[in-house]
Amino acid sequence: MKYESQSIAKLYFIAAIGLFVGQILFGVILGLQYVMGDFLFPEIPFNVARMVHTNLLIVWLLFGFMGAAYYLVPEESERELYSPKLAILMFWIFLVAGALTILGYLLVPYATLAEITMNDLLPTMGREFLEQPTITKIGIVIVALAFIFNIGMTILTGRKTVISLVLLTGLVGLAVFFLFSFYNPENLVLDKYFWWFVVHLWVEGVWELIMASLLAFVLIKVTGVDREVIEKWLYIIIAMALISGLIGTGHHFFWIGTPDYWQWLGSIFSALEPIPFFMMTLFAFNVVNKRRREHPNKAATLWALGTAVMAFLGAGVWGFLHTLAPVNFYTHGTQITAAHGHMAFYGAYVMVVLTMISYSMPIMRGQQAANAKAQIVEMWSFWLMTVSMVFITLFLTGAGILQVYLQRYSDTPISFMETQSKVEMFYWMREIAGLVFLIGLIVYIVSFFVKGEEVKMAEAE
Amino acid sequence: MKTDETQLKRASDAALTSLLNLTILPVIGFIALLLIYRKTRPGDIDRYHALLGIQINIIAAAVLFLVSTLMILLGGFDSPWTWVYVITYFTLVHTVFIVFALWALVRAWSGDKLKQA
Ligand code: HEM
Ligand code: HEM
Ligand SMILES: [Fe+2]
Repeated sequence: MKYESQSIAKLYFIAAIGLFVGQILFGVILGLQYVMGDFLFPEIPFNVARMVHTNLLIVWLLFGFMGAAYYLVPEESERELYSPKLAILMFWIFLVAGALTILGYLLVPYATLAEITMNDLLPTMGREFLEQPTITKIGIVIVALAFIFNIGMTILTGRKTVISLVLLTGLVGLAVFFLFSFYNPENLVLDKYFWWFVVHLWVEGVWELIMASLLAFVLIKVTGVDREVIEKWLYIIIAMALISGLIGTGHHFFWIGTPDYWQWLGSIFSALEPIPFFMMTLFAFNVVNKRRREHPNKAATLWALGTAVMAFLGAGVWGFLHTLAPVNFYTHGTQITAAHGHMAFYGAYVMVVLTMISYSMPIMRGQQAANAKAQIVEMWSFWLMTVSMVFITLFLTGAGILQVYLQRYSDTPISFMETQSKVEMFYWMREIAGLVFLIGLIVYIVSFFVKGEEVKMAEAE
Repeated sequence: MKTDETQLKRASDAALTSLLNLTILPVIGFIALLLIYRKTRPGDIDRYHALLGIQINIIAAAVLFLVSTLMILLGGFDSPWTWVYVITYFTLVHTVFIVFALWALVRAWSGDKLKQA
């Protein structure tokens, strides 16, 4: 570790992993409720468990991004963090606010939560992913502003690199688009329309910038390839991400009451959205192929390559699968969507955070890389989680195709609930794959505690 | 064995047309690939990548279309289960070929064969 303040990332990463465990536990609960409807009812109803699952996902990814930025930015800027104290303070505020919100979901009925948090003064609750009470949302904005101020001051007063500037742009974008969560028009069409300004413009816009910069950072470190090569790629990737992703939002405006031209705009531009993900794969492959050194952290290289491939699969391929209006007409809101949502979130954002952790955590613990045994355990967890996520996706895709056929495509369509009972087999298999994922996550955590002989970088030839 | 600039360029083009045939320019990509192949000589790196591209694409076509057709013939056009298997199979296996062709492209750029010589 070059700068002491980088170690603040460790706090953020530990919190991220802790919340990740919570997210997956609730995922497994949800999966079981899919096949045993009254499991844990009335203590934890499905809608509550779902909210906890998705909100924990978002919150721990934000912890991951912030930790990643606190690690990356001082090193890129070649100076200590502008204010380490502020970073630590914000950590605790965010953790407490996050924990209170999740407890609120679990302990009181949602309507009561809305009431006691005075949602009626500025109603923003009740929408998927944005369920947080308005005060939590305000808290998120404060934490985000303090974070961006801290990171921004460090970058602007230090060495400016393409990587840190792309990261900063992505993070500012993240904060700016979150502001749309405060706009909650009465009109349902407008409500949905602006809801996607947060959800879509995050994952298919500004988060791609964050992902590309984190991936580029780790790849430079583990391969020793020149910055200039990497920067050229970054420019093209982010240009493609923004060109396709901004108007690509239109693939959510096919059937919500917005004008018909969105079917054309949304189809055409979102059909280009796989390109930046495709290029990230090409970029990662190319850099690893041209590597100048054998970094002792093999696990981090595996995570980086895995991110590039799985993001292409989940976002690029499974996104393209249902993005054209004539296809989406049938698949909208089915299990196909859930299949894509899972693999895309995992492949892109979960994996890029785990890549950063894999690279930086050993260094923050005073080693170049984790010992050989620990790395083997970590790589096992990589395969367990990644392969089980592929299976979750395949089972949900199977369920989705059957659902579309029976419920929407067939000449003699059957009802929603009748369809659900016909695809139950897939839900059982998804649950089993989910349990394997949970085991993979436990193995991942174990890998941090495996002892062994230290590994060192081989001297460059 | 020395690799000159034209050969390197041609090897890259071959790998690129192979990838294009698998993605946005089916058939056209393959014809372009065959044209590149005709310019190459045995033993050279461009021949290697042109041949590799041709092999990937023929195998991909066989594995994707033959198996899918077989699934449809055996399962019946009107059975939802046929489409469960065909669409899932086609998407996943198609992607595997694309990722493989991506790696081949990267190897061609650096003038290498798939395996370290
Ligand atoms: C890493 C990037 C991505 C992530 C994390 C992601 C995640 C998601 C999620 C969670 C949903 C469900 C939203 C909801 O209704 O609750 C969704 C929907 C959708 N995504 Fe993505 N996505 C990504 C990239 C893409 C790309 C590149 C495409 C197109 C090529 C795409 C196409 C779609 C479409 C068409 C829908 C709407 C499905 C429907 O009509 O039900 N996504 N995405
Ligand atoms: C890192 C891993 C995971 C990620 C990134 C993830 C992400 C998500 C996302 C984005 C949604 C909302 C989907 C949508 O709106 O279409 C969701 C819902 C859900 N997830 Fe996960 N999840 C993960 C792991 C799991 C696991 C292991 C299981 C359980 C076996 C699971 C079960 C579910 C269920 C049942 C839903 C609700 C789907 C519905 O409402 O129909 N998830 N998850
Ligand atoms: Fe989208």
